[in-house]
Amino acid sequence: MAKDAADTPFFQKRKSEGQIVVKDPPKFDLESYISNYDGFTRADRLRHIGSHSTYLAVDAYRTAIAEAKRGKNVKLYLDLVEEFAQIAPDDPAALTDTTWAMERTKKVEAEKDKLEHELKSYKNNMIKESIRMGNEDMGHFYYAAGDYSLAHKAYMRMREHCTSPKHLADMTLRLLLVTIAQKSWLTVQSHIAKVDSTQVKGDEKAKLEPIVSACAGLAHMGALNFRDAATAFINTSPAFLTAEPAAGITWQREVITGNDIAVYGGLCALASMDRSQLKDRVLDNNDFRNFLELEPHIRRAINLFCASKYSACLEVLENYRNDYLLDVYLSKVLSDIYGRIRRKSIVQYFIPFSCVTLDEMASKFQLTSEYGSIEDELETMINNGTLDARIDLVDRLLISPPTNPRYNVHADALAMAETYDHTLRLRLTRLNMLAAGFEVRQDKGGSKEAAYKDSSFGDGISAGLRGIGSKMGFS
Amino acid sequence: MSAETINSLLSFQPDAPELQRKREYDREAREFVKHINGSTPVTFLKGADSPQDPLNVLDPTTNAIAYAYTLRHRIEAAIKQTPDQVRPGGSLWNKLVLFLESFDPIQMRYAGEQWRKLVDYVEVAARNEGAPALAIAPIRSAMFRLDPTTGTFTSTHLRFIQLCMETRSYKAALPVLNNYIHSLPAAIAKETLDDLEYSVVAADSVASGEYINLKSGHTAKISLTDLQEYYVLGAMAYLGERQVKDALHFLEHVLVTPANNALNGLMLEAYKKWVLISCLADKSYKTPPRTMSSAAVKHCKNAAKAYEALAEAFQQLNNLPKLKAQVNAGSEIWAEDGNTGLVEELLEHQNRAYLSRLSRTFSAIPVSNIASNVGSSVDQVTTFVGSLIQQGLLNARLEANDKSGAGAVLRFYLDPTQGPLAKTEKQQQQALFEQTQRTDALAEQVKDADYRLSITKEYVEYVKRQKKKNGAGGGGGADAMDMTFDDGDMDEDIMGDMR
Repeated sequence: MAKDAADTPFFQKRKSEGQIVVKDPPKFDLESYISNYDGFTRADRLRHIGSHSTYLAVDAYRTAIAEAKRGKNVKLYLDLVEEFAQIAPDDPAALTDTTWAMERTKKVEAEKDKLEHELKSYKNNMIKESIRMGNEDMGHFYYAAGDYSLAHKAYMRMREHCTSPKHLADMTLRLLLVTIAQKSWLTVQSHIAKVDSTQVKGDEKAKLEPIVSACAGLAHMGALNFRDAATAFINTSPAFLTAEPAAGITWQREVITGNDIAVYGGLCALASMDRSQLKDRVLDNNDFRNFLELEPHIRRAINLFCASKYSACLEVLENYRNDYLLDVYLSKVLSDIYGRIRRKSIVQYFIPFSCVTLDEMASKFQLTSEYGSIEDELETMINNGTLDARIDLVDRLLISPPTNPRYNVHADALAMAETYDHTLRLRLTRLNMLAAGFEVRQDKGGSKEAAYKDSSFGDGISAGLRGIGSKMGFS
Repeated sequence: MSAETINSLLSFQPDAPELQRKREYDREAREFVKHINGSTPVTFLKGADSPQDPLNVLDPTTNAIAYAYTLRHRIEAAIKQTPDQVRPGGSLWNKLVLFLESFDPIQMRYAGEQWRKLVDYVEVAARNEGAPALAIAPIRSAMFRLDPTTGTFTSTHLRFIQLCMETRSYKAALPVLNNYIHSLPAAIAKETLDDLEYSVVAADSVASGEYINLKSGHTAKISLTDLQEYYVLGAMAYLGERQVKDALHFLEHVLVTPANNALNGLMLEAYKKWVLISCLADKSYKTPPRTMSSAAVKHCKNAAKAYEALAEAFQQLNNLPKLKAQVNAGSEIWAEDGNTGLVEELLEHQNRAYLSRLSRTFSAIPVSNIASNVGSSVDQVTTFVGSLIQQGLLNARLEANDKSGAGAVLRFYLDPTQGPLAKTEKQQQQALFEQTQRTDALAEQVKDADYRLSITKEYVEYVKRQKKKNGAGGGGGADAMDMTFDDGDMDEDIMGDMR
């Protein structure tokens, strides 16, 4: 079946669009994997897996369609069915259930009208708390119907009717969830800052912290700030695993699980930290250890990296590449993260040597599909300044260039002095020209140079010039 | 009290003969010029070609002023009556050349008009003979005798560079071009000059901007285009001598012209050449100098789009076909602007830039690899690389490969202190030392320019107004006159450690 799915028009099209298509079966079991999630992310993840893995496509779409049918998001259902029809047209689930869709649309419309009506009457009564709850209900409704931007607006309208810090915090958390669903990471970051600055105290605050740091990590990772992401993830307290729902959201099921935190945090740390930092801040971190235990292979990869066994580390990661490509948040940034880890491994590996044969490098670092040969990869790395080395193509060696700081300082000083000197000369030239009244003017008729004694050549200019004169020493 | 202290306390002697002498000299020289100016031309023609010929009696090194006047009048007369004497090789020509090479520089500060006319005569005479190149050496020595820094721009500068370009004697122009133009002749009020407030012309250490001004007669009135033309022509001369970086710097002097939301033709031309030459000089197209006004940059960029595109294509070192296509596409533009030669140079240069970039990546690379990358034959590349190494453009060597069949190998020197281009520490130190001196000289020149600004009419009026504003108590004027140029010495301190 896997082979069939790869040839369907859907995957052909995605391939031609340059999207990621994973052919090999992943290591996880779809059933048990998805049972960890609830809420929007469940359908979202299923859809992602379905549209990326030819192996799991059919199962994932079937589950997703069943899931969508339980909810209020009719559009999601229709989209899913349409996509599924391109993969397995003969499957019973691929036929659009028009009657259900009609009925559900009607029901949803009716619910919306009811809520709007209620909200209006609350507004007439001018009771703050009721208005807040009315708006909240609207937000919940839009969120469930999959209209995230309207949900965002509805939640935003709660603000002026919030009376306690708790209300404010709840509202911001709701907004956070909606923006995560939209995957607009910049907005997520601003909402995180707002949650952080809410006035809740004591236990309440302690409850929010793990949620905030987990979401912050996610947002940073989405925005490609791997270092910030790693810091946020590894500082997430293990309380996150058992946290009670906040603002009616079970964060560890609806957004990001402990396993996810371990994987995301571990990979981001590998991509952005050096060996000693990894050891101090990741492996010896008691909080993060709880997460790492959930994903032992990430722990092993980091251990191997710290022990300078780069090729083994890369191998471990490579084994899990397919799994991670099917993760809804990782798939976009994975090649970037892997590329960084690989480049860093090469740089770290080369540091203690003055010269390594290229064949040794090639055997230590298995080639990826990106480059044709290890020389090409190394050449690119040297050219963009990642690796400080030279390639000897004759003896097939990678050589660390000798450094001569004394010479370099002299050469730099000389170059700097020359540039400075030249800049100063240019400025003096300009100043002299101004003083002599030489200026290109726009008027076409008259002569281009203003006469020196022209009274319109203002005193102001001359005065300003003196300023330039004394500033020329430095600037 | 030790004797030393007393000596230092007594060191200022207002009646000291040297001090007196300079002022005296100045007065006398002025008087003499005034007097000799009053004489009729006939006076100077008396005794010509006789044993009592004043030109034989007078010595250019001691009687420079008198000699200059006499010589000028004699030449003027000779042009009408016996033009042969003025022709190169003629008696007056020989005297003229001798004079220009040996006159007393201090005296000629007072007789600017005569100096300029004599210099003009050399050029005219050489041109009449059909051999303008003959005039280059005398003019140059005249310029250097008058002002050893040749740093005050005069109309002679422009005539000189025009002459050099006409005769393609670029090398002859270099000594003048290498000197930075630190002053433009200023218009200084007569009273200031007469009361010696600006400077004593005869003083030993004066900047040339002090005795060469619009009133001294050494230069005709100069305009902005004159100055710009000088720089553009100078850049061309540098290019002729393959001093690409200097050419680039010269063009930048044109680019920084103050512009009030407008351009002139020379600026645009300079910009176009600048784009091309910056590729040749640094292998990378960089941003225009910061001193250039942003409006001017925008105008230039708009007007020279073809050149920008060319520079961009040049950047892509691995994409020779693209550059070729650009060059062909714009061939009419280059021809029209007279830049075809430069553009072709660019094409050639791309390979060189590609090779020197290799040195940042490889320590050794078989020539055959390079050949397949650039798409030409191994032999061609080998000769090309060999010539680059010989010209000192690559710090590398070509060596035969011991493995069979691979052909020659290009091996770069990794350590900057090795190889043919290496500089020893001593050389570096020397370079740093010379740079320090240049910077010091520049600081002096800046100071001088600042002073010149402070005596302009506009500035004086500005100070007056400021004073009025501040009321009677405000000593604003005195403050503004403060010469705070000590901060220019910062560089010296940095360098100080290295001596």
